[in-house]
Amino acid sequence: MIQVMLWLPLAAALLACLAPRRAAGWVAALGAAGTLGLAIALLAGFDSASAGIQHAVDEAWIPDLGVRYSLGVDGISIFLVLLTSVAWFAATTWSAIRMPERPKTYFLMLGIAQTATLGAFISQDLLLFVLFFDLMLIPFYFLFGSWGSDHPGREGEGAIRRSPATIKMVVYTLVGSLLMLAGAIATGVIAGDGTPVFSMAELRADPLGEDSQRWIFWFFAAAFLVKMPAFLVHGWMPDAYRVAPLAVLAVFAAVLSKVAAYGFLRVVLPIFPDATIQFQEVILVVALASILYGSVMAFTQTSARLVAGYSSVAQLGFITLGIFALRPDGADGAVLQMVNHGLVIVPLMLIMVILAERTGGDDITRMGGLALRAPVLAALFLVVTMALLAIPGSANFIGEFYILNGVFQEKIVFALIASIAMAMAAYYALRLFQHAMHNRKRDDVESKEIGWREGAIVGALVACIVGLALYPGIVLERSDESVKDTVSAVQEPSDEVAARR
Amino acid sequence: MDATTYGWLILAFPLAGSMIIAFGWKLLPGRAAGWIGTAAIGLSFLVTLGALFQILGLPAEERQLTDSLYDYASAGGLDIQMNILVDPLSVFMCLVVSGISTMIHLYSISYVTSDRGFNRFFSYLNFFVFSMLLLVLAGNIVLLIVGWAFVGFASYALISFWYRRTTATEAGMKAFVINVVGDIGLVLAALFIFRELGTFDLLAIFEQAPEQFSTNEGVVVLIGILLLVGAFAKSAQVPFHTWLPDAMEGPTPVSALIHAATMVTAGVYLIGRFYPIFEIALTAADIAAIVGLVTLLIAATIALVVTDNKRIIAYSTMSQIGYMIMGVGIGAYSAAFFHLMTHAFFKALLFMTAGSVIGAMANRQNIDLMGGFRRSLPFTSALLIIGCLALAAFPGTSGFFSKDAILAFAEYRGGAYWVFAIGGYIGALMTAIYAFRIGFRIVAGPPCEVARDLEQGVHHHVEPQNPATGEAEDTDVGFPGEKHNIAEDNWPMKIAMSVLGIGALFSGYIQVPGVTDVLHTFLEGSFEDSKLYFEQPTDAAEWRGLATGALISLTGIAIAHHFFLRNRAAAARLQARLPGLHTFLANKWYFDEAIDLLIVRPTLAFGRWCDSTFERYVVEGLVSGAQGVAKGGNSAVRTAQSGYLRSYALLLFVGFAGLGLYFLIAGS
Amino acid sequence: MDFQAPTIDYAGLSPVIALTAGLCIVLLVGLFRTAPGFMPALTLSVLAITAGLCIWQWGENESLVEGALQLDELGLAAALIAIFAAAVATILSIREPSAQDAGQGAFGALLLGSVLGMVILAQAQNLLSFFIGLELLSIPLYVLCASAIRRERSLESGLKYLVIGSVGSATLLYGFALLYGATGSTEFGAIAQALGSGGLADDSLVLIGTAMICVGLAFKLSLAPFHQWTPDVYQGAPTPVTAFMAVATKAAAFVALVRLFQVALGPVADDWNTALAAIAVISIAVGNVGALGQDSVKRLLGYSGVAQAGYMLAGVVVATQTGVEALVFYLAAYCLMNLAIFVAVVVRERETDRGDDISAFEGIGRSRPWIAWPLTIGVLALAGLPGTSGFIAKLFLIEATVEADYTWLGVAIVIGTMVSLAYYLRILSAVWIKDEPAPAQPPLPAIAGGGPLARLDGLEEGSADVSCPKGSAGPLGAYRCALVVGAGVICAAATVAFGVYPDPLVDWATTAAESLAPTL
Repeated sequence: MIQVMLWLPLAAALLACLAPRRAAGWVAALGAAGTLGLAIALLAGFDSASAGIQHAVDEAWIPDLGVRYSLGVDGISIFLVLLTSVAWFAATTWSAIRMPERPKTYFLMLGIAQTATLGAFISQDLLLFVLFFDLMLIPFYFLFGSWGSDHPGREGEGAIRRSPATIKMVVYTLVGSLLMLAGAIATGVIAGDGTPVFSMAELRADPLGEDSQRWIFWFFAAAFLVKMPAFLVHGWMPDAYRVAPLAVLAVFAAVLSKVAAYGFLRVVLPIFPDATIQFQEVILVVALASILYGSVMAFTQTSARLVAGYSSVAQLGFITLGIFALRPDGADGAVLQMVNHGLVIVPLMLIMVILAERTGGDDITRMGGLALRAPVLAALFLVVTMALLAIPGSANFIGEFYILNGVFQEKIVFALIASIAMAMAAYYALRLFQHAMHNRKRDDVESKEIGWREGAIVGALVACIVGLALYPGIVLERSDESVKDTVSAVQEPSDEVAARR
Repeated sequence: MDATTYGWLILAFPLAGSMIIAFGWKLLPGRAAGWIGTAAIGLSFLVTLGALFQILGLPAEERQLTDSLYDYASAGGLDIQMNILVDPLSVFMCLVVSGISTMIHLYSISYVTSDRGFNRFFSYLNFFVFSMLLLVLAGNIVLLIVGWAFVGFASYALISFWYRRTTATEAGMKAFVINVVGDIGLVLAALFIFRELGTFDLLAIFEQAPEQFSTNEGVVVLIGILLLVGAFAKSAQVPFHTWLPDAMEGPTPVSALIHAATMVTAGVYLIGRFYPIFEIALTAADIAAIVGLVTLLIAATIALVVTDNKRIIAYSTMSQIGYMIMGVGIGAYSAAFFHLMTHAFFKALLFMTAGSVIGAMANRQNIDLMGGFRRSLPFTSALLIIGCLALAAFPGTSGFFSKDAILAFAEYRGGAYWVFAIGGYIGALMTAIYAFRIGFRIVAGPPCEVARDLEQGVHHHVEPQNPATGEAEDTDVGFPGEKHNIAEDNWPMKIAMSVLGIGALFSGYIQVPGVTDVLHTFLEGSFEDSKLYFEQPTDAAEWRGLATGALISLTGIAIAHHFFLRNRAAAARLQARLPGLHTFLANKWYFDEAIDLLIVRPTLAFGRWCDSTFERYVVEGLVSGAQGVAKGGNSAVRTAQSGYLRSYALLLFVGFAGLGLYFLIAGS
Repeated sequence: MDFQAPTIDYAGLSPVIALTAGLCIVLLVGLFRTAPGFMPALTLSVLAITAGLCIWQWGENESLVEGALQLDELGLAAALIAIFAAAVATILSIREPSAQDAGQGAFGALLLGSVLGMVILAQAQNLLSFFIGLELLSIPLYVLCASAIRRERSLESGLKYLVIGSVGSATLLYGFALLYGATGSTEFGAIAQALGSGGLADDSLVLIGTAMICVGLAFKLSLAPFHQWTPDVYQGAPTPVTAFMAVATKAAAFVALVRLFQVALGPVADDWNTALAAIAVISIAVGNVGALGQDSVKRLLGYSGVAQAGYMLAGVVVATQTGVEALVFYLAAYCLMNLAIFVAVVVRERETDRGDDISAFEGIGRSRPWIAWPLTIGVLALAGLPGTSGFIAKLFLIEATVEADYTWLGVAIVIGTMVSLAYYLRILSAVWIKDEPAPAQPPLPAIAGGGPLARLDGLEEGSADVSCPKGSAGPLGAYRCALVVGAGVICAAATVAFGVYPDPLVDWATTAAESLAPTL
């Protein structure tokens, strides 16, 4: 079943290529729906009591290279898989409604992207993970490039062109990923004597020596931090976010960044425990910087896309903070927060499509008064905004609360500083909402209600947000075991470290 | 049904009401939404009574009941239940909240009847009540924070209810952000508590705190202070108060409900609820008392000079809450909550009358433009005076008993606590003065133009304008329609105001020193382990206090009568004599400016610096730097690639020489 | 004295023989007037036969002609790659101006001659046959480069290649001489024994000789700093020739390199592997950096070829079984992906008047999916992105380096790849992101029908135009065009296929490498 889920999007996309032009989108959407269904079935058949890999598939792929085709989900990945399929379902249907030009290639790319992303989440072989991780990016290069649009940029600065922006994105993010490839190969070769070993389970069973862990750790960290993006290596983000087509950006921002965070949890913590403990503070500092810098930037931006972009930087900072608290509660919060953030970003981006149509751009200073004739849109947007700023009562708050709690118990200072960001979040999120929806309506702004089909999609996503807000435990309880197991890898040594001190 | 079931019902009705109105916004005809909303809150009030009787049926020491619906978010060693705590205190709060809310809903049905956002208004209003009840019923600190934040959200939504007004949206933003700061205070407090006690459950915390902490131990003081941050932000105490006056941008019923009767008193509830912490963290308790005192004085002085009717009342609210905070700070719990209740009555009443007057004045709120409404608005005027009397603590009114209960306790604590008593009395004097500044200005004196026309039965509808900026209002959405509603011709408003009027006059008699002691005895169930709760001044001392209070209040009213009724010129002259002081007060002690200067501007400046400098030169620099290196290498290669064979041959021999040399060296 | 003729296993030698015979036939027939397309067909059939013979001999492992040649999978693998490249080149050359000028017959003959050289080189087991093969490989190429006699650049490139190439050959030959002088033998095995017996390891003759051999081969493999002819020649030579050169030469020469260094010079590996590693790194750096911002796609590919050669050299440096496996795999994958690209170049060269300038590819993602997709896949594969054989190849290579404790070399490869993305993606953004400029000449509707292929188009609607409108050469019929485009599609398909299911190719490479093992 897990295999069907993995390959269904690609299959559907290829089918869409053969289908007549009109139908292409709907074929793809159907595929996405099927994937979502399978993901839900996967969750239904999931035993939350066990920490291990479930629905496992394990076959040889390239025996000479020791690469195995081994898949499976655990409490951490299951919800990210679910998130992926939800996000893609929303984006694909949305695109199907508003038929892009050259739909066949468009949906083909979207399908490849989904398969790659799902693959990254469910692959249990290090190299397979790296492969999917790199592959993930390629379709987005085409999607951003061919279906994106040049952005006027800030006043006083030149417009931002698609082609350089996308090249920048791909090269920048692949720089990290390729280093990771080298790191992964090194791990496998060093671990296995004779034929290299890439099975995560085995690698975890007997970790490498400390000094090889040390440098390989950074190869992986580079890949993940760039992908997130984290502070200082987010240089590719602003341009890419400004040129990207929003429906695609929705899935990109919602899911791809999570793959990076997931990578820390799935690969770095268990396989490089000693290095993780050693560099904990460093990463925590980076995370903290991302939180503060992202928040500060978010409330100076005038482009709605960038507000969302920098807020994501901050949010990913929070998630990293939670992971590197190296405590179950922090990691639990991180997992929950990954899901939350994804669920918030997708509707946000889709709403921005509407905003762009009504106001002819993403400049929030040129918006206003949209709520006048669009109460439903306003209501949906309001809920999303509140979730974005993690108002207590939203699952996002529980996520942040868990994260902060985890860090608080380990490294209190980081938690205290990080909490500042919650106030900043309130400001920039609300600013975004108000500029768009409230105040007097500008004459060049058209206040029209969201169409019912679009409304249904956004509404469904908002429903997910509310549902999760009512019962965040649904995630926490299922992921808890796996998280505990993962974190335990870095906890025993940490005690030893404490002993040594 | 046991008390907790009632507790869940208390929450269920307002939530249901809010949802029904929200989802039925298109279907509901006419004023249906209003009635549904009112009914929901009314039912909630009734079930609260049910809970009350259940509680009363139990022996005093078993009056704290908790019940959990489900595991809200429990993992990784944290245990966060969806549970409520029903005890005398929460039931008392529920009674006040749902009771007052019902009346205000009723009032609103008429007040916003012609507003395009009618349904939205009631949906928000019901949601607010739900949140407030959740806040007071929450059984663990996380849930309490949830309620805490929800009321903040509701308050934001209702402040910027007329979202076409820039002033309103800005005010909403301000209120929300400051409230979030408060939330963070609570969150950190929760984290500290969990770190020390390993639980979020309120009762568990109260049980363990005395065992775990020694008196005035650093961490517990810190916890107390963090809790206070939350309390101050929510209850508009200095220096977190600046949002409250601006919050008057909201429709008047909102000001009455949220910014007078209920939400702003949440801080008082919080401190009272966490008395076990504060009775250990004495420093924190003292801070609370001091801040309360400072606030009540500052607010009172400002209330003396500002001219916007609603803002005067807002500052008086701040000041009155100052009393309560001071009260819980010094340990006069029952007195503080007593004042909370009476204040809810008369302050809500005052706002309602203000709303009625504003309706008559076509949305103008400057009291200098008002005057002589006693004949044109007899009913409103009457209740306005009642409200003022209660506010001024006129002997026999509710405010009289409650305020003096606090001050009497301060005297009783003695020692340094005398300061609070004296400060409190000074505040009381000013209170009386500004209370009747409103009263006399609006009711007595020569009727203003609007009043005269009203006597002829002509109700003008002047071009409505934004009271704050004076800019012409765009009446399309979010404005109380063409028809401005005055209590005189709307029976729901009349009923609501009368009920509150009665409360304002007589609710004080449930707690007359030496005669009745209803509230104190009832609340005992929640304060069993308190050291201070059961200490009470002697009745004689209480009565002495009451006498002083009566004296001060009468003096204040007399002064007000002199300045604002008998010879108004005197007021102007006084103002002319102390221009500096006046501007200082009129500018509200320059708090807004200070905050802007110290916090807002630096942050924004930093943000702009990041955006313009750091992002461009450092972050982008990483990229362009790498590009530069590559470009450099590229041009080097290109120069070598001249296209001439000779240059190729040259490089060839260089390469060969190098290689050969290497081999020779490596080999030998 | 009695002279005894060497015993010859004709079966083992059959590919060589077939090629030689075919060469003569093609040359002779070329003298007569024949129907257009006959000569290419003939050339193709010769190649097909040879390929068949190679496959027939697959699995044999013996020494031919008194150890002049070594028949084994390694050699045959190189031969097959070369033959495949030659076949594609032939297809590309149909109605190609250069082929016209040279005469299809001569063109084909030269091509076959070069292939023959490659086969011999790849199997050479002693210095003489090695050198013969090398020259046999090179000389026809010099001519082919210059075959577009009407184009000045073509002539220039031919000349350059000739001069530099002969310098290279000379150096190589001198190196051989020194080696012979030192060891007293031309036979690899004997040389190895001589060196292995010790004493000679730090003999300056051997050292200088080895150095010269390195230089000489570095020329043929266009490794920096001996690469400089590459961009010029690639750009100048007729595209089909460039395609052939880029792929086949590398295959043959690399296999020969492996044989020579690991069999003959194996004992002194410590002397040369660091040197080769240095050359590899330099090539990676120079190639990738040089390719940035090149507008001529052929020139760009020339530089990228330098870089790729650098990557492959890593497989030799490590001097391990895995290294050779990786190398062979890489050669095969490289052949496929590169040809996929050159197909696109040829087609666009003929369609537009912008030659091989990158602007010629703008917007073809919309208008010409059947060219754009192979091109895209080829480029992605060159960049080593997953889902293509390029990824597996790099994976293989890096693994080999890490295993042999050359991790830093692996990292160098990775860094090189990062830089390379910058220029590879430039091509893709031209193809997919830039909009097509106003067409120089409107595509001919007659051919726009594109024959049956129009209906095969599953990727883009409306623009199923796989035809090759009038370019600098005469118009191609739909079927020839189908042939050209088809070749590209096949290469691309194979690239993806081996990217997803690499096992067969891996096994192939492994057997090829193992055949060297006994002597390794």
